[in-house]
Amino acid sequence: MTTVRTAAAGLALLLAAACTVPTPPRSRASTAAGTACTQPQGAPGAETATTIDVIEQAYFCILGNYYSGATLDARSLLTAGFVALTQEINRNGRDVPEATMPALTGDRKADWTAFEAAYRKTTDQVPDLRDKLAIVTLEAIVAALGDNHATWTHDVERPPDYYDGDGYGLGSQANVNAPQMNGNPGAALPPLFVTTVQGGAAQAAGLRPGDIIESIDASAPFIDGKATPAITALYPQYPEARPVRLRLLRQTTGRRWSVTLKPGLYQRDLAALQVVQSKLLDDGIAYVRLAGFAPDSADRVLKAITRLRTGQPLTGVVLDLRGNGGGRPAEATRLLSAFTHGKVTAYQCAVDGTCEPMRTDDTVKLLDLPLAVLTDRSCASACEHFSAAVKDLRIGQLVGTRTAGVISGPARSYLLANNTLLAFPDRHHLGPDREVIDRIGVPPDHHVPLTPKDAATGRDPALAKALTLLHK
Amino acid sequence: MRQILAVTAGLAVLAASACSAPTPPRSDAPSATPTGPATLPAPTGPHPVGTTARYLKDTSRPDPWNLDADARELKVTLWYPTEHRDGQRAPYMTPKESELTLKGLGVAGVPYDTLSKTRTNAIHNAEPAGKKLPLVVLSPGFTKPMSTLTSLAEDLASRGYVVAGIDHTYESYATTFPDGRVTECLACDSDTDPGFGTGAVQGRAADVSFVLDQLTSKRNDSGLIDRSRIAMAGQSLGGAAAVAAMLKDSRIRAGIDMDGTTYARIPKSGFSRPFMFMGSPRHVPGGRDNSWSRDWKLLTGWKRWLVLSGADHQSFTDGPLLAGALGIKPAYGLLPAARSAELTRTYVTAFLDQHLKSQRQPLLNEPSSRYPEVTFCPATCGQS
Repeated sequence: MTTVRTAAAGLALLLAAACTVPTPPRSRASTAAGTACTQPQGAPGAETATTIDVIEQAYFCILGNYYSGATLDARSLLTAGFVALTQEINRNGRDVPEATMPALTGDRKADWTAFEAAYRKTTDQVPDLRDKLAIVTLEAIVAALGDNHATWTHDVERPPDYYDGDGYGLGSQANVNAPQMNGNPGAALPPLFVTTVQGGAAQAAGLRPGDIIESIDASAPFIDGKATPAITALYPQYPEARPVRLRLLRQTTGRRWSVTLKPGLYQRDLAALQVVQSKLLDDGIAYVRLAGFAPDSADRVLKAITRLRTGQPLTGVVLDLRGNGGGRPAEATRLLSAFTHGKVTAYQCAVDGTCEPMRTDDTVKLLDLPLAVLTDRSCASACEHFSAAVKDLRIGQLVGTRTAGVISGPARSYLLANNTLLAFPDRHHLGPDREVIDRIGVPPDHHVPLTPKDAATGRDPALAKALTLLHK
Repeated sequence: MRQILAVTAGLAVLAASACSAPTPPRSDAPSATPTGPATLPAPTGPHPVGTTARYLKDTSRPDPWNLDADARELKVTLWYPTEHRDGQRAPYMTPKESELTLKGLGVAGVPYDTLSKTRTNAIHNAEPAGKKLPLVVLSPGFTKPMSTLTSLAEDLASRGYVVAGIDHTYESYATTFPDGRVTECLACDSDTDPGFGTGAVQGRAADVSFVLDQLTSKRNDSGLIDRSRIAMAGQSLGGAAAVAAMLKDSRIRAGIDMDGTTYARIPKSGFSRPFMFMGSPRHVPGGRDNSWSRDWKLLTGWKRWLVLSGADHQSFTDGPLLAGALGIKPAYGLLPAARSAELTRTYVTAFLDQHLKSQRQPLLNEPSSRYPEVTFCPATCGQS
């Protein structure tokens, strides 16, 4: 457990959509280990600088273990790396005559040797940039996979005054959040508005849910209806600490004003951080909010429902998965197993098209209750696995907005020689009808988006719709 | 021991979505032939030791973990000096507690009642001896029954302390109540939630204050405990709870955290009561856990930060002493069990003797050639 918790030490990973799956039995892991990298056992040691040797390890780790590692054109990875390398040199106001891409043949080993020689010749000319160049090169190689569950976690720093449960940043969330800007910015819709104020600078400046963010550091959040990178500035990660200036509009009063918010650590409400929260709504409806498919979370949800059921009959369940960034696929399948038996909840498919079905665990007792699931554009990964199965297997109805479309496949972690973590899937995910969900998402059965006015007044139209459906 | 008992070490609990890989299969832990039941080392002080259990019920607050319990029930184990050398030795834990603990730890290959056969030194329900003795509250690591600090508790009692060890209900694999109920680890369900540690130590601080109320109330006062001399020590989450309890309850005059990542917020204005961090090498300054460095700056009174080379997270508990009985081969380079028990007992006692008995302890002022494993941080210990 320690391994990924440590990786998750970056507060930003609170929002992580990319998740790992359980470490396979040793036998399987050591097969993978035959190629360059192993799955981490226990907490990694202290990080050291990224070098060309680490990049080499990552390159062969990807080719040996990634979903399409056996078939992809490795030249595309090296080229992407070299592009990033040369751009970074230029960004530093420099250039190097030797910084030209070598000819590649398609022979993976020979191409690496050629790349490494060119890389060394280039970086030797700018020794002061060496560490930075190594980082951008490896980042670009990983990004070249075009896989939203391929990540390289490095240089994770935590604020020295951090306490368990603290947040870092401006202290608020907007309808377009950080994972959405990373994973599917194309899905973001105007206007940009505050949905939650958690603490910190946002709270001190008096921001409220529903406040429309008209500009960020004088840049528009949307141009021609498309999200701009300016939105990213709403979610600084430590050690980023540059103040962010927002122009705001409060529709209820027509007030228009500007605030400057300095990122920092802020305390969050512990009760609101619980991954499973539940309450009994009118007419015997159990409302359960699940913030992530964490270990044991399926059982926690089922326990909560059982508890609400003690003493009175239930008539339905609302499962609120808005903002659920995913987690373990096994937890998604386990929770689905309380609603249906004898079904396939998803397929994990190798690049050659062979798929392993993920079947319901029919030892889980059926709840036999109508289900409505609340989804939004931040329901990612395992959350989409769950939502797609609810829809395809006709377990219940989805209410809200389309899911994130960030579900290439469950990621496995690999430890690199400098104690940084590379993670990517070895299989890709398909829904129960063998449909691709990645980048597309799961559409709700009832499209109920949240408006700034709803946020300002605390109304929850998606929940209201779900209750109407369950009362029918 | 590490692989097996490291479950709580990972308690750090940082991220919400808990996209975590599970611990490796237990069968990976190096195994050895079980040695048969363990015998805890004899206490080193002059007094024979007695022990008894108290069951307390705090009706002023609901249980933080069991939402259906409107009161907080606690089991407190007391160790104290006695004059009785003969009598039945107290059981280490019940066979059922042993089973639940071994299952929780993922230990297989030995009979499930193995831990219940551990030989202790304290005489069961012996009459206490002494008046106005200093009191030490002990708090175990998350998931661990209080029994796992028995070696330390018995030693402190033999040196003239009353020890009150708290089983924080539902935070341990097993706690038995007089009516036969055995509570299990409900808190384990949510231990990956962000803020879990912060919430847990708040609850433990409330447990400690309630236990102090009960043990020192005029009504129950047998004259055994000196209410003005109270300290607290704990391992892992229990050590973190010592910080939290001291911040909340000024009756606790001094505290020790053994290898626990801390969670309670010390006010920026500082905290001046004596405190000692005692840890494994993962707790050197600049290590992965920022919490001791963060707190160190805010400790304004007498303070020490000791790191024991060769120690791991369980070195401050009975864990290494039990490893043989459980058929667990200690990790390479780990302090031998007898040595880690000796170091823990020696330095904890020195701290308490200095701060509760006003006996100056040169051992706490500088490194000692008798205990070369102990380094004084942050001054003379680098990042390993």
